Amino acid sequence: MTTISQARPVPGDDVLVALEKAGRRKARRRTPGGVVVDVVLVVFGVLMISPLVWLIVQSLTVPEFAFASPPSWLPLPFTLENFADVFDYMPFFQQFANSLLLAAISTAGSLIFSVLAAYAFARIDFRGSRFLLVLMLSALMVPAQLVIIPIFIMMRQVGLVDTLASLWLPALINVFQIFFLSQYFKTIPRELDEAARIDGAGHLWILFRMLVPLSAPAIAALAILGFEASWNGYFGPLIFLSSPENMTLPLGLVTLQNGFGAAPAVVVFAAITMVVLPLLVVFLAFQRQIVESVASTGLKG
Amino acid sequence: MSDDTIVARRPEALLQRRRAEAAGWLFVSPAVLLFLIFVAGPFVFAIVLAFLKWDLLTQPEFVGLANFEQLFSDPELPQVLWNTFVFAFASIVTHLVFGLLLALGVNNLISRSIGYFARVAIFFPFLISWAAVSLLWKYVLDPTFGYVGQYAAMFGIELPNFLADPAWALPAIIFIDLWHTLGFTFIIMLAGLQTVPSELLEAARTDGATAWQIFWNVTLPLMSPTLFFATIITFIGAFQIFDPIQIITKGGPQGSTTTIIMYLYEKGFQAFDMGYAAAVALLVFVIIMGVTLLQFIGRRRWVHES
Repeated sequence: MTTISQARPVPGDDVLVALEKAGRRKARRRTPGGVVVDVVLVVFGVLMISPLVWLIVQSLTVPEFAFASPPSWLPLPFTLENFADVFDYMPFFQQFANSLLLAAISTAGSLIFSVLAAYAFARIDFRGSRFLLVLMLSALMVPAQLVIIPIFIMMRQVGLVDTLASLWLPALINVFQIFFLSQYFKTIPRELDEAARIDGAGHLWILFRMLVPLSAPAIAALAILGFEASWNGYFGPLIFLSSPENMTLPLGLVTLQNGFGAAPAVVVFAAITMVVLPLLVVFLAFQRQIVESVASTGLKG
Repeated sequence: MSDDTIVARRPEALLQRRRAEAAGWLFVSPAVLLFLIFVAGPFVFAIVLAFLKWDLLTQPEFVGLANFEQLFSDPELPQVLWNTFVFAFASIVTHLVFGLLLALGVNNLISRSIGYFARVAIFFPFLISWAAVSLLWKYVLDPTFGYVGQYAAMFGIELPNFLADPAWALPAIIFIDLWHTLGFTFIIMLAGLQTVPSELLEAARTDGATAWQIFWNVTLPLMSPTLFFATIITFIGAFQIFDPIQIITKGGPQGSTTTIIMYLYEKGFQAFDMGYAAAVALLVFVIIMGVTLLQFIGRRRWVHES
């Protein structure tokens, strides 16, 4: 099996090696210029994270002392009250569950249909396949906001507005995934299929027992990015969802700070912190995989 | 090979071919069905909509080219397009310059821990939702609540109220967008830098080339495919900017941050003028398609392909 893994050019491998190398490179002289670069990068990094530190600090400060001038970078006097208050203003856990459900269904569903279609395009020689692929690829140029108008009208007709289904149903088709996976499948030697077929394997066995496991890095990358895009999505939820108990977290956050009974700023900050902190933990734990998915697919969330 | 084996084989080959056809269509059919319902169908529907006047409450009415006539004589449209193109252009320049510089910096770092810190700090904001980012920055740039204005005040500087000032609101959104999505460009650039063979850099160095000469004559030309890709993808993303504008400024003050998608949203989902919104959306589609094709043609001229 070593030949298989060697024969397979893994997209994103370059970056992975690169990121490792950036730290591992040894024989490099320490020049004054090098020190300047160090300092500039540290300062830049601190400036980049300063709004996030400020966010967390304010959310942990007693309301009367938050947003004080001069700015405080320590949560004093400390309180967790703001976090408890979040639940008075928004159904946080319900919205968290909605976001999770939406992202899970959208990601898993679209990947299943993409894997099946990609297999046909990469491995089965059928009439019309080229035309079909070109047709689907040309849809990549169609902005989402163009098709969302008719989809909104459709969803109104079938009474799905203000449900999560109005968001995950259209997400089940992902043309980029189909294209990316079919390109990936093509890098796996076809002789493997032939060998399996001689042993009596059918299409489904070849796809799910052989190509899918061999494409795990590509599928993982698409899954991470698909999940992230759905989890963070705002335009779709804004148009389709209206009741707080059906909203996803991004829309819930925005609703929290406007309209009737808007929450105080510290409570909004506490809610944002409750979204950002778990994300930071996930990111630090899976940094390699997340960075690699972005680098290998070049997809913007 | 005798004649009758060929005869015997033919129907079998035909059968196999038919089976492949059937299998192929079977595997793509769920995707094709979904594609027809949620992409191709709505696309055609949107074109039809652009010829209708429809508020979703009364009966749709066929109005011919009226929506397009209205679009091209719309007094707001020039400002909206100007805002959108200014945002897109500024976004491309700032993302590419900062992304490339930071990637070069991180790529040449000696310290592993500084590299780790810089990578996390630059990339992490990209993963946060626009909703959270927009709400946060609304406060950061607030003259009384935000620390930017507070520090400036300590030094006796009075900063403009960025998000409420027609001259400053769009630059502020450009800045917030840079903070949010720079990590993406940075990673793409870092990946691109790895395609530059280190032997070439070594060779240039031993030949006595200065750091600037190496950058300008070796690194940059070899990076051109990456720069090109980053330009296209930044343009397409920037042209469709919506979330922070809807959340922070709602297109104001005085329309200074109304971009084309914000305008589409106002027409379609606030005024419920579906036909007109579809016409605006078609304009967005034509511009994005045009720029994409233009860049593909330009690619042959500017990009160094090894």
